[in-house]
Formats: sequence, structure tokens, C-alpha cells
Amino acid sequence: MKLMHTKLPEFIRKMKAIAATVGSTYKECEVVGLENLKTAKMQSNRTGRIERAVTEITKHEDVYRVEVAVIPRIPESMHTAVIRGFDKDGKPVHAILETINILHPTEDVLIHDCPDVIDRRPPIGKH
Amino acid sequence: MSKLKYKIIPEGMLHSIYIPITAVFIDYADVKACNLTMYEACEKIAATIPGPAGLNMFDMTATTTNSNGIMLEGAMVCMAASDYGKINKDFGYMEMVEIPYSEELIKEEPHLKQWKKSFPDRKLYMGPDPNKKVIPIHNATLTGRAGNNNSGTEMMHYINMEELLLPISGQVEIMKDGKLEVGGTGWTISVGIGMVVGEEYGRIVPRRQWKCGKTAHNSGEYAKFLKSHIPIIAADKRAHAASIIRALQTGVIPGRDIGASPSVLAVAKHMKIQPDIDNIQDKALEELASVGCTMEWIKEDVEELTPEEIIERAHEIIPGIDNPKRYNVSDIVQVKYVDV
Repeated sequence: MKLMHTKLPEFIRKMKAIAATVGSTYKECEVVGLENLKTAKMQSNRTGRIERAVTEITKHEDVYRVEVAVIPRIPESMHTAVIRGFDKDGKPVHAILETINILHPTEDVLIHDCPDVIDRRPPIGKH
Repeated sequence: MSKLKYKIIPEGMLHSIYIPITAVFIDYADVKACNLTMYEACEKIAATIPGPAGLNMFDMTATTTNSNGIMLEGAMVCMAASDYGKINKDFGYMEMVEIPYSEELIKEEPHLKQWKKSFPDRKLYMGPDPNKKVIPIHNATLTGRAGNNNSGTEMMHYINMEELLLPISGQVEIMKDGKLEVGGTGWTISVGIGMVVGEEYGRIVPRRQWKCGKTAHNSGEYAKFLKSHIPIIAADKRAHAASIIRALQTGVIPGRDIGASPSVLAVAKHMKIQPDIDNIQDKALEELASVGCTMEWIKEDVEELTPEEIIERAHEIIPGIDNPKRYNVSDIVQVKYVDV
């Protein structure tokens, strides 16, 4: 099971389904941060832990809405820029690969004003 | 209880430029006097600043290099980024590594010929150990909205995405209570900071990725725009000229040993020191030409001046900085104390 992965749409559906059903009332859950991914496989054991976390957050009586924000754990990500030119029929005819490194805000921007934070992440390098 | 001194430029407008995050400058000597570790000192100061901040600590008895390889009187020994009064435990703090002297080092990094000639008794620090730092590419610390990048020379706000350039020579002036020049980075400096030297523990680029004579930007006509719009707090050009002159007097050659930036070339011309044109790659020459440092300009026969005359006329000789305004450090940097 550890090596299996969850489909991206299934990951999002699971979180919404939990928030909708496990609380005393229906609660909305929004998954943000993955909008530019059309397809992806999500690590399954971590998906389960996030499901458990969504369950716990949803069950709080003072919670009316849930959000799962997925941000880079390392706040610098390295990307490939694929620059492609297409012909009149939409076929790619020229391409150059470049790299670009992106610096992101850390999780502090999302939790700095939250009074109850539990950090269950393993240390960097122990995933 | 003792008091730890630090210098600070608060977030917000500073005369004509916008400071995106609070900039803090700490003297390691003051930290030692308070019997604190470097991290503890950063933590204590960060706790007094509710907004985003970059914190840089200097050992003014050590030496470092700027991006052109010019050695300076003082070195950054650690950097931090803080927000909401805290430093992110994984990414908010980083220490620089002390570099031991060896003949092999001088052979591989010939700009360091300056070390034993100009600063023989000083320790050398550049950037962090690339094998130990957590951030994969940049020498950056990050916490929340605050980013302190390129070994403390670019401070940025990750929400409004504004940035401030703080060349290391300007920060050394801040530590020395010297003089500063404030304005827009402009085209000339944007190109000039790309004229790097190869350094294993480089403050900007590690592992000797670019040898002297190459351009780190490698962006052709676009290089001059890469940093041009960003505000800058730099050393006054007289102080900058003095550093360049001191380097050139040790025998290092622009384009071969030290980066052939417009400022280095401009000073070298008046000292009648020829750059190693053959060692400067065409792409670097193209970027230099895009800001007026054409081959004709480089080879132009200008008046030979004494070091004193160059320093006196530095504002006319050294190009760069848009709409510059000159200040004493005390005009724009506040001194504060925190109980520790």
C-alpha cells in the first residue's frame, strides 16, 4: 500500500466527501494549490493522513468551512520551462528547454494567526 | 540582562525608494559580548519585529568577496528571514562557512590573490556550504512573507513581490557607519553583477559554476533589464572605488581574475590596467556593450589618475544607479537595542 498513489481527482473528491459527511453538519472543503495540475498521482499514505486530518478539523464544532492548501514543503522549487512553437496545424515544431527556480512563501503565511496548530510533518529528508 | 545593539532600516518608504521588508544588520562582536549564539541573536531581534524582515550578521574582522570578486573589509557570517516575530525552523536561518587558505584555493580562485596581500590576518567567509544547506538552489532564507536571498544581498516580500538589492559592499558601509548611495539599480549594475567569478562556496553561485570572463546572466540584450527596476542601497561610489583600487593594486586582472563589470573596468581604465579581453566571452562582451561598455569604451585612452584622484572623482567615473541620492549611514539607518 505504501507505494501506491491516488489519482488527483480522487484525492480532491475524498477531501470534499469527508468534510461533507463527518461533521455534525455539511461542511465545504476547498483544495487549493493544485489548480495548475491537470493530472497527478498523489502519495497514498500521505493521502490517508490528510484524510484523517480533514476528519479531525471537520469534527470541531467551531469549524464551518475546511481548506486543504497544498504548498511546496521546500519553499524553492525547480522547474523546467518548455518553450514550444506550433505550426498552423497546432503541431509543435520548435522547442527549447530552460530551467527556472521559484521561491515561495513558507507555511507561516497561512498559520501565523491560527491559535491551534499541530505539526505532524516528518523532518526534512525523512519522508 | 544586557542589551544587544543592531541597525535597522524599517519596512516602508525610505526617501525615494520602497523597502519591502525590514532590513537588520548585526555585528558579531556585539553578539559575542552578549554571550549569545548567532541564531539566538537573530531570534531575539526577530521577536521585536512583527512584519517581514531580513537579518544579516557581520564579522567586521573577517573578509568576503562581492560578485565581481572584490575583497571587502568585513564579511557576513549568517543570515535570517523572519516574519510575525519568528524565524521558520527549517528555512529561516543559515550560516556562512569559513574558508581555509590554501595554495590550491588561490590557483582555482585567482581573485583570492587579494587575500594575503590586502587582508592577511582576516578569516574568509563567502556563502554557506552547498552540501549542508536545505534550500536546493539559492542561498536563501525564508519565513512567511520574507525572503533574504543570494547570501543576504536581495531582500524580498513574497506577497507584494517587491525586492530590494543590498550589494555586500553597501552593507559593509552600513556596518562601518560610512556613506551610501540609494536609488534604482538600473541597467549598468544589472549587467555588472552578472560578471561573476568562480567560487566553491560562492555567496551567490557555488561550485565554481561560472569562471571569470563569463556572464552568469547569459541573457544577451535582456541582461540589463533583469534587476534594473529594483531599488538599491549601495556603497557610496568613493568607497566602492577604494575597494576596486585596493583589489587592482594586488595585481588581479579584470576579466581574468576579477569580474569585468562596468565599475571595475571604469576604475581600471584610469589606473591604466588593461582587462584580459581574450578571456571575456563574447556573450559577456555583448551584455557590457548593451550598457555602453563597448570595446571602444573599454580600450578608450583616458587620463591616468592617482588612486586619490579616482576616489575623489568616483561619482563621475563609476557608472550605475538611477536617480542616485547620497546619504550618511546615520541618515537612513536606525540604531536599536534589544534586552537579552
